[in-house]
Amino acid sequence: MSKKVLVVDDDPDVRSFVVTVLEENQYIPLVAQDGVEGLEMIEKEHPDLVILDVLMPRGSGIRLYRKLRTDENLNHIPIIMFTGIALRSFLKSQKALDEFKGGEVPKPDIYLEKPVEPEELAAAVKKKIG
Amino acid sequence: MEIRKLLFVTKFEDLCYDALNSLLALRGAALEHVVFLNVIERDKVAMKRGSGYLKEEEVKLKETANIRFIDWAENLFEMGLEVGAYMEVSSLIPEILRVVDKESPDLIVIGRSHKGPLEQLYAGSDVMELIRRTDVPVMVFKHMRGDNIVPEKLFERPLFATNWSKTGQKTIEYIKGLKDIIGEIHIMHVVKESALKSKDTHEVQKVRKAERKKLDALCDDLGDAGINARPHVYVGDPQKEIEKAAKEYQVSMIILGSTEKAALLERWTGSISKNIADKSIFPCLLIPGKKDI
Repeated sequence: MSKKVLVVDDDPDVRSFVVTVLEENQYIPLVAQDGVEGLEMIEKEHPDLVILDVLMPRGSGIRLYRKLRTDENLNHIPIIMFTGIALRSFLKSQKALDEFKGGEVPKPDIYLEKPVEPEELAAAVKKKIG
Repeated sequence: MEIRKLLFVTKFEDLCYDALNSLLALRGAALEHVVFLNVIERDKVAMKRGSGYLKEEEVKLKETANIRFIDWAENLFEMGLEVGAYMEVSSLIPEILRVVDKESPDLIVIGRSHKGPLEQLYAGSDVMELIRRTDVPVMVFKHMRGDNIVPEKLFERPLFATNWSKTGQKTIEYIKGLKDIIGEIHIMHVVKESALKSKDTHEVQKVRKAERKKLDALCDDLGDAGINARPHVYVGDPQKEIEKAAKEYQVSMIILGSTEKAALLERWTGSISKNIADKSIFPCLLIPGKKDI
């Protein structure tokens, strides 16, 4: 059975690019345009993988990432970070939030900085969910 | 009331990272989320004879804004703040209101109005239109000197000019939410010359004494909330006296409750908050009052 992949990104061009890559690789794409809608979709659709942007309106990818990594009902869902924000800045943000809020949230397994070639994105998805 | 979320409206030419940076003292108050908004004016991409809608120009402008926001966002993310961004082709005020509706910020930061006097007379000032249509406090950011240097400690030494209205009371509650970042606040009331029953010294001193008593009580109230406050009574034209006091005490910004005058009346006669927001050299924090449109 095809696996469901949720794309959370506010940029319609990026969503369209990722959806095309997913469809060409026989995955079922789902889309959300911000962090709040993304969480609603995750709770409703239980995707096999989330491809997540960082800089978005209405609840950034940082908040959603930390929610997904710390909620015991959701932390089994793999995440690919797909963003224009540099990895270095993302990791620093996590460190600052860990210190501020206590605890330590694990680093993302796969962090892709935009733009990427379709093959690179498809390979990352395959690596996570086959 | 705490400032947890800030909406930063920029066209890049007026408000840039240095301005944003000077607002980050709000982290000491409660700030945890910054939302950027860049509104691309419609006429920059509008339909032109022979070329149609300038879609490529829209893409280029949005991407330019996006690159700028990513750079700013990286700095804020590294501080542990949440960041969001909007880039839209739209009209300024309706777009700000749309984003306010979606994001529920506790403060809107905007540059001063660039409309000319005649345009303001007929179309009104952007800032005052915004104040009239939102309940969210608005900071009109200014670069305080000709060399475009931003005030480093924006909340260090504010001046609050009270006219004892209900809006003033709302403003005081807002100020209390900033207690952790305000160094010392100057509280002033301007007695209009027309309010002095007679010009003799005794009468004038009587009025001054009464106003000073009210200010002392307010300062005590703020002191109880943990804010060091100093009272001042001035006499004369409120707009001029507020500006004068701001210079005399070298304040970092002016805080005002916005007027409740009807929109049309205000456009023609002006209001103290409008005039100070538009003309003062100091950044202004305007707290909206009851809507009266």
